[in-house]
Amino acid sequence: MKQIYANPDLCTGCKLCSIACATVKLHVANPRKGCIIVRQNLFERYEFQSLCRHCDPAPCLDACMTGCIERDANGVVRLDSARCVGCWMCVMVCPYDAIARDLEVQVARKCDLCPERAAPACVTVCPTEALMWAESTK
Amino acid sequence: MKHTPTKPRPLATLAHVDLTTRRVEISETPPELVRKFVGGRGLNMYYLYKYLKPNTDPFAPENPLLIGAGLLTGTGAPNSGRHSITTKSPESGILGDSNIGGFFGPELRYAGIDRLLITGKADAPVYLYVEDGRVEIRDAQKYWGTNCSEATTRFKHDLGADVEVELIGTAGENKVRYAATRYGLKNAAGRCGTGAVWGSKNLKAIAARGNLGLPLAHPEDLLAKCVELRKYLHQSKVIQTLGRVGTPLLYDVSNFLGAIRTRNSQQTSFEETLNAEEIHRYVDKMLSCAGCVVHCRHRNSLGGEGPEYTSQVMVGANIGIADPAQVIELQNIVNELGLDVSSVGTYLGWAIELHERGMLDKKMTGGLELKFGDYVTVKQLIYDIAARRGLGDLLAEGSRLADKFPGSEDFLIAIKGLPQSDPHDVRYMKAFALGIATASRGADHLRSRPTLEIFDLPAEFTRQVYGQPVDPNPTSYTSKALVVTYNETIYAVVDCVGICKFNCHGFNSPRNLNYDHFRELIYLATGLEFTKEELVQVGQRVIDLERLINMREGITRQDDTLPARYFDEPMTGRRTKGHQIDRAKFAQMLDEYYALHNWDTEGRPPRERVAEFEAL
Repeated sequence: MKQIYANPDLCTGCKLCSIACATVKLHVANPRKGCIIVRQNLFERYEFQSLCRHCDPAPCLDACMTGCIERDANGVVRLDSARCVGCWMCVMVCPYDAIARDLEVQVARKCDLCPERAAPACVTVCPTEALMWAESTK
Repeated sequence: MKHTPTKPRPLATLAHVDLTTRRVEISETPPELVRKFVGGRGLNMYYLYKYLKPNTDPFAPENPLLIGAGLLTGTGAPNSGRHSITTKSPESGILGDSNIGGFFGPELRYAGIDRLLITGKADAPVYLYVEDGRVEIRDAQKYWGTNCSEATTRFKHDLGADVEVELIGTAGENKVRYAATRYGLKNAAGRCGTGAVWGSKNLKAIAARGNLGLPLAHPEDLLAKCVELRKYLHQSKVIQTLGRVGTPLLYDVSNFLGAIRTRNSQQTSFEETLNAEEIHRYVDKMLSCAGCVVHCRHRNSLGGEGPEYTSQVMVGANIGIADPAQVIELQNIVNELGLDVSSVGTYLGWAIELHERGMLDKKMTGGLELKFGDYVTVKQLIYDIAARRGLGDLLAEGSRLADKFPGSEDFLIAIKGLPQSDPHDVRYMKAFALGIATASRGADHLRSRPTLEIFDLPAEFTRQVYGQPVDPNPTSYTSKALVVTYNETIYAVVDCVGICKFNCHGFNSPRNLNYDHFRELIYLATGLEFTKEELVQVGQRVIDLERLINMREGITRQDDTLPARYFDEPMTGRRTKGHQIDRAKFAQMLDEYYALHNWDTEGRPPRERVAEFEAL
């Protein structure tokens, strides 16, 4: 399965990946609405990308009380926001802190690897190649 | 995934905060004003024109303070992380305006507010908290007295790590006339003393958290355009080098030429110890501001960010310090205290020269011996300026100090009361000289710096850029008014859209983004259609408006001039040796510049312009 791989050493913290995600998924700009999260602390001197690994087994899938998180036939763990009630259980159990909370509409946002695109939008816009779209070598 | 519609949002919003009455009013910015001024610096100037009464004391509660994002700020357009802070400057006494990167501007927009208009004065220290369409005035007593890193860290501790905070350090609290507004470790709206105006209003900080989506008119096309432009920009050698070493690359170029402001411009070349590669030894990683594809910011190994070319020279060559570690240390301190490094470095160099000339004696310095290259004394003096202690208190008054020492003004590298920001000595390149002489906020290169002058470009190329060929000789006075006017106009537009000048056509490279790119990006992000001509008119309108604001504050043709030293003393270094500015030829350049602006020979815009602004 093809996955997004992150290299934090190359990440400069611009958040274009998160903005691009919100742009294509929701037609708005705001990195908080993106499914990839750039965590940066200028004072502690770090930045890295939090992104979904589509774990198997996936803790978020097991924790979701409405059943809005499912694994599709390709192994991609998907979240249907229409059925999400904003309980944040998935956010709490994610070992990679990779599920975003959209506080404007109180639903979780999670990466689906952009199945409709040749490559995920975040990978396409990254100016430093800090994100890669590659086949898993497992 | 559900496509949840974001709440409808006006094109632009204004929050008027009166700190005296503690009232907040939020309104939609009329769309016709957006068409005329776009946003950022342009709309800020419109509100400054309307709300600033002539001859207001910059520290009076009535002085309006504007914090305004550009029309593309936060949209994901290349380098769209910028916003402008505008007020009457306590340093120069004319319009004060400064542009800043980081992440605060986009966050303000995501919180549903495009622009804050702050008037009045709080009776005790306060900060503003902005979230999702509301603005609260909150107590800031516990943060008062802290410098930038500590204050930001405390705000994030108390409000959540995800808030973006713009604030002032102790220099702003103490109303040092060139205190900066700061974000993070280094980003600054450094120029014109905006931070001192925050301090005068008892405003410590603004914290923003934005959960709202910024609607995009044509999201897929916008994304494709941004990717295309990023690839286009990355072909530029200058952009590549900026991403690798940042602005220190300009030191090497200017110093090689012999045009580095050295020891208060008494010399024009300095040590190679401050070359970009030497500075880069202290760089751990290059960073970006919001939406940036260039990443020119350095995380340095001495605990801060930077240095930029400006700090490298202003607290380096200009005060005779050649050790890169000492220069970085000094600029880290300047940033922490919340001072403008261009002004600090200029005043320090000036004070040292005045001391050497006997014009600033030991009685005035409090017994301090001032020498070029004296790191220990200078470091202490920077702390003293921020705290307004001893000689530091005198220097905190900035260019106004010249009134106390007759004759000292001749040695101050400032115009209209604002020290020169560009470390480049402008006596060699005449277009640079005209640019800083006419810049609306005082001696500043970011209003019009025609960097292409460095490259000796052939006539067929300059015809493409400027519409007609210009004299390729940078030391010639011919056709330079055209070069300055062209750059001044497009830079005004880039400041209105909220994109970084490093991406702007003409700033560092003939490639980069031009009017057509801005036009396309605005359409794809907002749906608004502008022609190239309309955008040019926006730039011209902003420049005229700025001129009118300054005229109300007493600016005339006599103020569009240069520091005395640039006319009277030749340069000393390398290829530039012997160059200076000829007064008569300079006056002729100024005549041409006014004519290109359709201003009269005294530099006054036509009556129709005044009528146009009065009607708005």
